[in-house]
Amino acid sequence: MNIDLVLQLAVQGFLMGGVYSLIALGLSLIFGVMRVINFAHGEMMVFAMFLSITFLQGFGLDPYISLPICAVLMFGIGYGLQRVFVNRILDLPEAMQVLVLVGLGIIFENGTLMIWGGSDISPATSLALSSLRLGNLTIDVPRLIAFVLAILITLIVMVFLKKSTLGKSIRAAADNRFGSLIIGTHINRLYGICFGIGAACVGAAGALLVPLMPAKATMGAPYTMISFVIVILGGMGSLIGALAGGLIIGVAESLGTVFLPSSMKQVVSFTIMVIILLFRPQGLFGGKG
Amino acid sequence: MKPFQEGDTMEKEKKEISGISRRNFLKATAAVGAAATITGFPAVLRGAAPKEILIGSIQPVTGPLPDIGIAMQRGNRLAIDEINARGGIKSMGGAKLKLLLGDCEAKEEVGRIVAERQIKEGAVCLVGPFLSGVAMAIATLAEQRNVPFVIDVAALDAITAKGYKNVFRCFTKTEYFMSSMSRYLDQIIREKKVSIKRIAVTNAGDAFGRGQGAAFIKYVKDKKLSFEIVEHIEYPLGVKDLSAEVAKLKAAKPDLLCPVSRPGDAKLLIREMYKQRMEVMGIISPGSPGWYEPEFVKDMDKLAYYVLDNVPWVNPKSKKFQEANARFEKQYPGKYLDTNSGYAYTGVLVIADALERAKSTDPEALREALRKTSFKDHPMVGGPVIFDEKGDNINAATAMVQVLPDPNVDDRVKVVLPKESAQASYVFPWKQLWDRG
Repeated sequence: MNIDLVLQLAVQGFLMGGVYSLIALGLSLIFGVMRVINFAHGEMMVFAMFLSITFLQGFGLDPYISLPICAVLMFGIGYGLQRVFVNRILDLPEAMQVLVLVGLGIIFENGTLMIWGGSDISPATSLALSSLRLGNLTIDVPRLIAFVLAILITLIVMVFLKKSTLGKSIRAAADNRFGSLIIGTHINRLYGICFGIGAACVGAAGALLVPLMPAKATMGAPYTMISFVIVILGGMGSLIGALAGGLIIGVAESLGTVFLPSSMKQVVSFTIMVIILLFRPQGLFGGKG
Repeated sequence: MKPFQEGDTMEKEKKEISGISRRNFLKATAAVGAAATITGFPAVLRGAAPKEILIGSIQPVTGPLPDIGIAMQRGNRLAIDEINARGGIKSMGGAKLKLLLGDCEAKEEVGRIVAERQIKEGAVCLVGPFLSGVAMAIATLAEQRNVPFVIDVAALDAITAKGYKNVFRCFTKTEYFMSSMSRYLDQIIREKKVSIKRIAVTNAGDAFGRGQGAAFIKYVKDKKLSFEIVEHIEYPLGVKDLSAEVAKLKAAKPDLLCPVSRPGDAKLLIREMYKQRMEVMGIISPGSPGWYEPEFVKDMDKLAYYVLDNVPWVNPKSKKFQEANARFEKQYPGKYLDTNSGYAYTGVLVIADALERAKSTDPEALREALRKTSFKDHPMVGGPVIFDEKGDNINAATAMVQVLPDPNVDDRVKVVLPKESAQASYVFPWKQLWDRG
C-alpha cells in the first residue's frame, strides 16, 4: 500500500474531523442539557454558510472575519427558537419533539432556498486555493485553519461550561432540572442560552466551511446525520466525546476510501455507529464530560 | 318514523342558521354538476380544436442539480414562447402551447409522480428530464398511459433499449458518446504527438454517471485501445468533499483524467487538483456536464481553462442557434444556450413540429407524426432529428468543446472539434493549474 497516500488521507480526514467536532459539539450540548435532538442542525449550518457568503459578497468580509458575526446571529436565532418552540416541547414524548425539530429543519432549508436559490455557490475567498507542502504531503490551508479554529472554539465552550457561573448553572440544569428550578434558576433563559451556544457552534462551523466546499441550500441533512453519528460515537451529551468522535469519523471516512469505493464512504461512519450501539451503547465517553 | 319533518322546529332552525337546507343544497349541486357536464369537460373530448395544448416539462429544478434543471426549463420555455409568438400550431387553428412546469427534484419516484399528475392535468406530451434514471421512470409510465414522451436530454442506452413505442430521444446515447470520444482522442493524440498511456476515470454515482463511466471503461477494454485505466473512482451525486478522492487519483499518476461529473463535483475536483498539485496532461471528459455551464466557467475562472469535453453541443455557426441564443441571453443575462438548454429547446421544437403534422393531439396521431420526424431547424451540432425504430435520434452527434481564455466570460466555451464546426484550435496538453498566474 502507498504510505504517502494513507498519510495524506489521514491528515485530511483529521483536519476535516475538527470541523465535524465543532458541528457535533452543538448537537451534543443541546442534547446533554435539554434531552432534545436538534434535527435542524445541518440545515442551520447551511443557513450560516449562506450568511457568511452574503457578508463576503455584499461587504467583502472574509469568512474568517464574518465568523463571529455569523456565530452571534446564529446564537440569537437559536435563543429565539428555544424560547418560542423548543421550550414548549421539552416535556412531550420524543416522537413529538422530533416532529417539531424536523419541521424546523425543513423551514430552514426552504428558507435558504427562497432567499439564496438552489445553486452551488463557491465564491472565491482569499485563502480558498492555498496549500502547504511538507515533503509529499499536501496540507490544505483553509482546512488547517478550520481545524485550528474549530478546536479552539470547542475548547472555549468547554472551559466556559466548566469554569463560568453561567456554565456551571447550565451543567446543574442538565444534571438535575428539578433541583435547579427549586434553587431559583431561570431555567428557560438558561436553556435558551444553551440552544444559542449550540447554534453559534454550527454558525461558526458554517463560516469555516465556506472556503472548503460549494454551499448549497439542500446539503444540510447529511450533516445532521453525521453529527448524530459522532454524538452517538462519543457519547450522548459528552463534549469530549463530540471532539474525539468528530476526529475519529473524519479520519475513518477519509481512510475508508482506500479500501472502499468512494460512493460507500458513509458506510464507514454508519458501520462505526452500529458497532458502538451494539457493544458500547453509552458511547466512548458516555457518562462523563 | 321520521325523526323530523318539514316544519319541525329543528328543521327550521337548521335552515335559519345555515341559510341552506339539505334539499336546497342537493338541488343546487345537481344544477352545478349538470352545467359542468355540458360545458366543463376538456375541449379535446368534444372534438373541437383545442385553444391551448398542454406539454408537461419535468426537470430537476431543485435537488442536487438546480443550475441544470433551471437552464433546461428555460430552454423548454424558450421554444414555447417562440412557437406561440409565431402563431401557435397553425394546423390546429393557431392553438397555443402551454408548458406545465414540473420539478422531479432529481429523484426517480418524484419524476414519475409529477409525470402522472401532468398527464391527469391533460398534458398531451411530456418533455424532459435530464437524468437518465428519471427518464427510465417516466418512460415506463408514458408507455402505460400511452402518452408520447420526448426526452430532450438523458443519455443512458438502457432507456430506449426496450423499444417503448411512446419514447423518443433527441439526445445522444451513450454508445455514440463513446465512439466519438475515441475518434476525438485519437485525433488529439495524432495531431499533438503526445503519448497517453495511463487514464484515470471518475464518475458520479447516479444512473447516468455510472452508465457513462462504465461504458467508457468497457469501450477502452473492448476496443483494446492503447490506454491503461489506472484508477476508477465513483462518488455519490451531490458529494461535498473530494479531497480523499483526488489524493487517490494523484497517487495513481495518470496522464489524463476522464471524469463523468456534475456541476458541483466538477468544481470540487478542479479545486482539489489545484490544491494537491495533481499533474496531468489535461482533463478530457467522455461526455458529461459540469465543465461548460456558465456557473462553472465564471466561478472557476482560470481553473476552468483547457478542459475538453465531448458533448452534444450547439452549432455556433447555425443561424438558428444565433437567433435562439440571442433571445436566451437577452432574457437571462449571463447565461447562454449550452448542451442542456439547447437540447431542451430542441425537444419542444420537435414536439411542436410533430403536432403541426399530426393536426391533432390524439396520442396515436402524435406518435405517428413523431415517428416520421425529420427536423432540420434546430441549433445543435448534427443532422436533422430523425428517430430510429427504438426512438433514438440517429443524427445526434457530439463536438469536443474547450474552455479557452476570452475576456468575455460568456464566450469562453468554444467548439474545437470536429474541424468543420470549430471556432478555435484546441490546446493540449494544458498548462498546469497552478501555472496560470
